Amino acid sequence: MRFIFTMAYRELRASWRRLAFFFLCVAVGVAAIVALRSLTQNVRAALATEARSLLAGDVSLRTDRPWPEELDAALARGLDGNAAPPRTETVDIVTMARLPEAGSTRTKVVELRGVQPGFPFYGRFELASGRGYAFDLLRRNGALVGPELLTQLDLQVGDELLIGDTAFEIRDVIRSEPGRSLGAFSFGPRVLVAYAAVEEAGLLTFASRATRQLLLQVDEAAIEPLVEQLRNDLQETFVRVGSYRRTGNRIERNLERTESYLSLIGFVIVVLGGIGVWSVTRVFVQQRMRSVAILKCLGATTGRVLAVYVAQVALLALSGSALGVALAMGVLAGVPDSLVEQTASAAGLGNVSTELTGSAIVQGLAVGTLVSLLFALVPLLEVRRAKPLLLLRQGTARAPAGVDGLKVAVTAAAALGLVLVSAWQAASLEVGLYVVAGFAGVTFVLALVGRALLRAVAPLEASRWFALRHAVLNLSRPGNQTRVILLAVGLGSFFIIGVQATQANLLGNFALELSDDTPDMFLIDIQEDQADGVRAMLEASTGRRPQLIPVLRARVTRLEGRNVSFDTPRGARRAGLGREYTVTWRAELAENERVVAGQFWDGSPAGEPEVSIEEDLRDERGIELGDTVTFDVLGREISARVTSVRTVEWDDTRSGGFMFLFRPGSLGGAPHTYVAFAQGPAEPQARARLQRDTAERYPNVSVIDGLTVIETVRRVLGYVTLAITVVGAVALFSGALILIGSVAMTKFQRIHDAAVLRVLGGNTRMLASMLALEYGVLGLLAGAVGSAAALVLTWALARQVLEITWFPSLLTNVIGMAVTAAAVGATGVVASLDVLRRKPLATLRAE
Amino acid sequence: MIELRGVSKTVLSGNQPLTILHPTDLTVASGQFVSIVGPSGSGKSTLLGLVAGLDTPSSGEIVVDGVEITGLEEDALARLRGEKIGFVFQFFHLIPSLTALENVLVPLEIAGEPRAADKAAALLRDVGLTDRGHHYPSQLSGGEQQRIAIARALANDPPILLADEPTGNLDSANGRHVVDLLVDINRRRETTILMVTHDAEITARSDAVLTMRDGRTSTAAAQPV
Repeated sequence: MRFIFTMAYRELRASWRRLAFFFLCVAVGVAAIVALRSLTQNVRAALATEARSLLAGDVSLRTDRPWPEELDAALARGLDGNAAPPRTETVDIVTMARLPEAGSTRTKVVELRGVQPGFPFYGRFELASGRGYAFDLLRRNGALVGPELLTQLDLQVGDELLIGDTAFEIRDVIRSEPGRSLGAFSFGPRVLVAYAAVEEAGLLTFASRATRQLLLQVDEAAIEPLVEQLRNDLQETFVRVGSYRRTGNRIERNLERTESYLSLIGFVIVVLGGIGVWSVTRVFVQQRMRSVAILKCLGATTGRVLAVYVAQVALLALSGSALGVALAMGVLAGVPDSLVEQTASAAGLGNVSTELTGSAIVQGLAVGTLVSLLFALVPLLEVRRAKPLLLLRQGTARAPAGVDGLKVAVTAAAALGLVLVSAWQAASLEVGLYVVAGFAGVTFVLALVGRALLRAVAPLEASRWFALRHAVLNLSRPGNQTRVILLAVGLGSFFIIGVQATQANLLGNFALELSDDTPDMFLIDIQEDQADGVRAMLEASTGRRPQLIPVLRARVTRLEGRNVSFDTPRGARRAGLGREYTVTWRAELAENERVVAGQFWDGSPAGEPEVSIEEDLRDERGIELGDTVTFDVLGREISARVTSVRTVEWDDTRSGGFMFLFRPGSLGGAPHTYVAFAQGPAEPQARARLQRDTAERYPNVSVIDGLTVIETVRRVLGYVTLAITVVGAVALFSGALILIGSVAMTKFQRIHDAAVLRVLGGNTRMLASMLALEYGVLGLLAGAVGSAAALVLTWALARQVLEITWFPSLLTNVIGMAVTAAAVGATGVVASLDVLRRKPLATLRAE
Repeated sequence: MIELRGVSKTVLSGNQPLTILHPTDLTVASGQFVSIVGPSGSGKSTLLGLVAGLDTPSSGEIVVDGVEITGLEEDALARLRGEKIGFVFQFFHLIPSLTALENVLVPLEIAGEPRAADKAAALLRDVGLTDRGHHYPSQLSGGEQQRIAIARALANDPPILLADEPTGNLDSANGRHVVDLLVDINRRRETTILMVTHDAEITARSDAVLTMRDGRTSTAAAQPV
């Protein structure tokens, strides 16, 4: 044992320069893992702290209707005999607030929330005055309002505000509140009042759209069973049951995607590092064959010699990993605090730490060491081939014919290890398998391509051009680079191009949400006879023709289908089709729609009613092409045949999205309203004027200003985009560095040949073109296979893991391929420049 | 004692079998200093490699210090070499990444010798290179490297020392120094020495000479000088 470590230390002392690249590969990979994971964990920790206050309770029940009779019984069952937990109710209504002066037409759509004394269970209100929140502030018609209401209606604390016919006194301004996550869609500024006051103001009439919420505070362990029981018992009612763990909004979804993407990138960088490790170890072992033979001649067994080299690799990997941790610490410490704070607050988070987390450090060290060992083990096995007889004769050890059982076994074990490590890293066996299957698939294809290449270029061996002839011969000569470069570069370009293409996909999806023509003003409840007027008014104000979409509310009552059939609304609820759908009709597809099955109608009116369904209705609810769905539209029954299935890109909000889309004429003359999508004027005053004009001329029309929400989303996505781009660039840079290094390491194979050719009269130009051809052909092939595989990887990641729209980014692939070929060719020549320049005798002597 | 009985070596050259050592019998008594001479390609190094267990014979038996080595596995051979055989090469073959002292230490450490450091220092003194112990092979002259290699070969006090043209790469002064050392070792330690050489001076100072030509020994036993 002592001999093994002493020898490992002595060898390292002498060869660390050659192994510095090994060290660097590991360090870069580990730094990426540790930094990305720490950041992710810190963000997640911040999210967890926030999650309870995002909901303000542990469990919530929500409904847009009066509470059903079954509620109390269901609650009792869900609590399973335990004492009734603390509960509090809230009610949310989107309504208009006015100024109390007689004849004032200044109005504003507000989100009115009525709360009871127990609210909130979690989280704190922050008020502009600095005092603490107490329910007393709301007693006797008190109100707390969002800051934008004051500016928009030109009000101050102490002024009065009319909601319905009740006057409320504004007692303070809400800076932040629990129970409302930033980035969630908002109709207008918040107005918080007492629950009882909402009832007294007569706002809970049948006609108004009020959302009632019941919040419960229960023990952590009781949450899941309670939620399950309630969901089960209340499934036929209109009550939605959720817990703080399940709050989700658009920003969180995007953060989740970002998180899985980032941890994947971290792992990919480590794998690239592993390829570097493999390449270095291979060359290193070949240079050490003579020393190994001497050790064997002096009485060391193969096992002990192998142990000496494994110990070296482990030592290097461990210290490289430690350096990686230090690097990660430096990188995170280098991120400006202001950037972290801005990003965190934009995402609605509190403090996000930039310190490394213990588990990230442990993971980094473990992954770095494991991946290095896995990648180094197979090339290290070569030391078994070093025969002491070498010392008596010139020449190198030849691979014995036949299958090397141990090598096959070790390779298989290493592959299995890699699956486990990657599954661990991506926190999903699925992702681990995708990555390693991609890895194995590409390796296999590269092996086949390598063989095909040798066959395809064989005729060139007869070429008269010396450089070409030798370049081709070099591809299949003993000690050739073909397999090594194809594998290293092919796998490397597969990952790098894959990362770049995935990044393009992810950012492409963000861009849809961020695009400049995203509508930011929505007018709802426009009556049929108001449509032309509203259209003209919007066009005059914004200079653009707004999109007016006719909408109706419809409920599924019957379904005669191949998979699912029912003939009562109760059956519809059981089939998960119980909710009220907003439907429309159109003669053509919208920009964000695509037909995936059936035939979309032409412009002519329907003979019989036809409906097109969204893909989810087929996949999740079992409705099929040819089924007949019966709807209750304002009391009238309409049966329509399903003639096509569409997929809707929900992230693209430009034209809305509809689960059911009817052929024009199908709905007869059913009464409907319009929704207008517009991009309001950018200037705040013009915006306010437009809102005021609308309220004056069309009091029944609600204007929803989405600008603040969209800006919040834009800001957060902007930061996320920045993070992804930076990380992508790091992956590209470190990956390229590692690959160039790996290719450069192979030059040691050709040093001797080049020197001998020089002695025989080869000039620099001939040698350089020989190398450029040899490496260039290999680079081109490796790049082609890598980029083709990257397309598949991107598709799988986009559709299966990140659940985003997939854009085949062919340009990235083509550029990636060209750059790979050029880079490998150039590296081959540049790395060997010193050999080309040096006097051949120096090279031969150094051997 | 070294004993070869009907030992031969045939290799494939292309697809043709090529015999590089015809069946040979040879006995070298303990404490004897035997030189093997002959033109290049006559099978001298092959013979030496076979005795050291670096190569496997096509036929015959080899007994080294009482151990029949032909049937031994690679690792068992390695252990046997560590214990019983020291080897000196024409091209020294020191491990370039280790200092002179460490090169001498390696076989002691492989054998698990507890007093390795003291022994290595004593060996360096024996070959007259105490003050060169911390130099790397590349910082030593050829003669110095070969003396370090001899110290290394003697580290575990092996009963047998095999040498493959140890002076072939040295100038005559250094060559003489190395030969003096080997003769001295043979006398004082009673180490059996089997040496391939082209050097007439060494041949003159050895106990017996074995001449080889075309893979055959001229006589069944080494001829006394």
